Amino acid sequence: MSELSTLVQFFFSGLTSGSVYALIAVSLVIVYKVSLLICFAQGEFFVIGALTMVTLTSKGLPMPLAFVLSVLISTVIGALVERILIRPIRNSSVGNLIVMTIAISLALRGSALLVWGKESHILQPFSAGKPLHVLGATLQPQVLWIIGITVVVLFVIWFFFERTTLGVAMRACAENRLGASLMGISTQKAALLSWAWGSGIGALAGMAVAPLLFMQYSSGLMPMVKGFIAMSIGGLASIAGAVVAGYLLGIVEAYTIGLISSQFADTIVFTLLIIVLIFKPSGLFGATRSREV
Amino acid sequence: MRKRLTIATVVACLFFLTGAVNTAQSQTKAPYKIGFIVPLTGYLSWLGEYMKKGAEVKVEMINKAGGVNGRPVELVTYDDQSSPEAATRHAQRLISRDGVVAIMGTGTAVVSGAVSSVANKSRVPAVIQSGYALTEKETFTFNNAHPTDFAISRPMLYFQKKGIKQVALLMPIGPLGELGSGIARKHAPTYKITIVGEEKFDVKAADVTAQLAKLRALNPQAIMAFTTGEPAALLARNMAQMGMNIPLVVSHGNATPGFLKLVAQTPTMVIVPSGKIMAIETLADNDPVKKVVAEFSRAYQAKYGEPANYYSGQQADAVALIAEALRVTKSEDPVKLRDALENIKNFAGCNGVYNMSPTDHQGTRTEDMILLTIKDGKWALLD
Repeated sequence: MSELSTLVQFFFSGLTSGSVYALIAVSLVIVYKVSLLICFAQGEFFVIGALTMVTLTSKGLPMPLAFVLSVLISTVIGALVERILIRPIRNSSVGNLIVMTIAISLALRGSALLVWGKESHILQPFSAGKPLHVLGATLQPQVLWIIGITVVVLFVIWFFFERTTLGVAMRACAENRLGASLMGISTQKAALLSWAWGSGIGALAGMAVAPLLFMQYSSGLMPMVKGFIAMSIGGLASIAGAVVAGYLLGIVEAYTIGLISSQFADTIVFTLLIIVLIFKPSGLFGATRSREV
Repeated sequence: MRKRLTIATVVACLFFLTGAVNTAQSQTKAPYKIGFIVPLTGYLSWLGEYMKKGAEVKVEMINKAGGVNGRPVELVTYDDQSSPEAATRHAQRLISRDGVVAIMGTGTAVVSGAVSSVANKSRVPAVIQSGYALTEKETFTFNNAHPTDFAISRPMLYFQKKGIKQVALLMPIGPLGELGSGIARKHAPTYKITIVGEEKFDVKAADVTAQLAKLRALNPQAIMAFTTGEPAALLARNMAQMGMNIPLVVSHGNATPGFLKLVAQTPTMVIVPSGKIMAIETLADNDPVKKVVAEFSRAYQAKYGEPANYYSGQQADAVALIAEALRVTKSEDPVKLRDALENIKNFAGCNGVYNMSPTDHQGTRTEDMILLTIKDGKWALLD
């Protein structure tokens, strides 16, 4: 095996991890964008989406139908959580809301344990087939699915928030809740929709990356942490930033493992985060928002 | 206006799980109480479940056969939540409040080490089941699990037979990986094996092909990875992806139905060191453990409708060892009971034939282990 094939394999390894981080980061950003809230339950929607799909496919449902149903189920759960648990305390401080999302995360994880048990589950890749060989390195076809799904998700998000009245109204709510409500926009509806979006995309992320990993009730933790780092590097509210940062994170990790040592991977990643936070606190793609009017 | 999001969250979850779970008692005479610390929740809960079932079946078998010295055996069970703190608390409670004759449990070196520490301080015999390496000072602790060394020396014995000389290590980052690496390097010369390279990986990683690519460049004939569960399965999957047709040895913690499900579809040859209970039908009729293993498996299958495994058998052995010591000494005195445990000789259990002594508190030999691999989605005996 040549030196080159090893270097390419490092890249593919990074692409694989990065595709996982990026999609989770997008689901975190979408909730943040509309409600200025970091939802710590996002990792659980990731798990619920993936495990629902595992259950549905094992019941004999065709893959595409199971896929759509799982997204819908998770979206409904997300909306219900917002309606029942978040809305009553919507006027509390950000701190309270964040603690609430942590509580929701633990509750959902507990429920997942009851529904799916402790064992790990396998979700079959979306398309059967051998790994792709490029210059002696290999890549799982599922990674291409994840990249494709990420592109579609980005387009749908862009279209919704830039081109539809409802999307623009939701952005307005995030910018200025009072102003938006004075313009006749229902802030309650906007918050509900943001949760539905977030949980739907979280579930989508889980389903897309599950065939690369193994899924159990507590599998949401690692993606949540890495997704959060990607989100911070990308600039909290930037969806494109989250995607770029997610892949960057995966690739930096893989080359650190490959060229230096796997024991330094975390150190390098957090150093990257610290550097970004010091020199560009708004993140790589974040708008500078410190101007005073 | 400057908006800034500050995130300062402290999550402190304290679950106090109290209330002992007592098994039903049938006889009227005062029972022998055995303290049982087991990870029923937390990350080791998959293991705890097997341990609990194994212990309960064995206690039932003993009580059905008339108990020990005409007295029933009773378990006092506590959940250690997979944490050493809870294990310490429960061990203290078992000794000071529940008045148990001995303690057994629990998973992992760290948590069972905590139990051992309490037991020795209070001078009460403990039979633990983990990779915990006993020190000379811990005169009251026995560890009836196969010593961690066996899980590495046993596959190396097989490699020597098969002419495999170049082995690469792929170890998890953390104490377990350090342990595995140290043992592998210690035993390699004995079996004429060269360690051609070593890589580390994060057990939570989504992909380990980067490490595998580095190792592949060194042309190993096998890879040894001292890891359990999902990360072990991920290694197998990534090796298959890269077309690496060499055996992968993982730790003896993998002989579970759950792990089997994870790697059943993967073409990589996965080798799992385990106990004879995992291949009952291949045991020779004159195998000293065959009778014990078969009887236990039958009772287990009847009660839970699933086959017994390495961990349930191991826990049953702990119950049997304590019961045997009680039978011999007829006393609840901790020192006498400890001495009786130390004097157990040629005692057949699921993990092999135990020969305890004051210097050997583990009792089994390398040959008591077997190697499993997976054929047609089922465990199969390799060696």
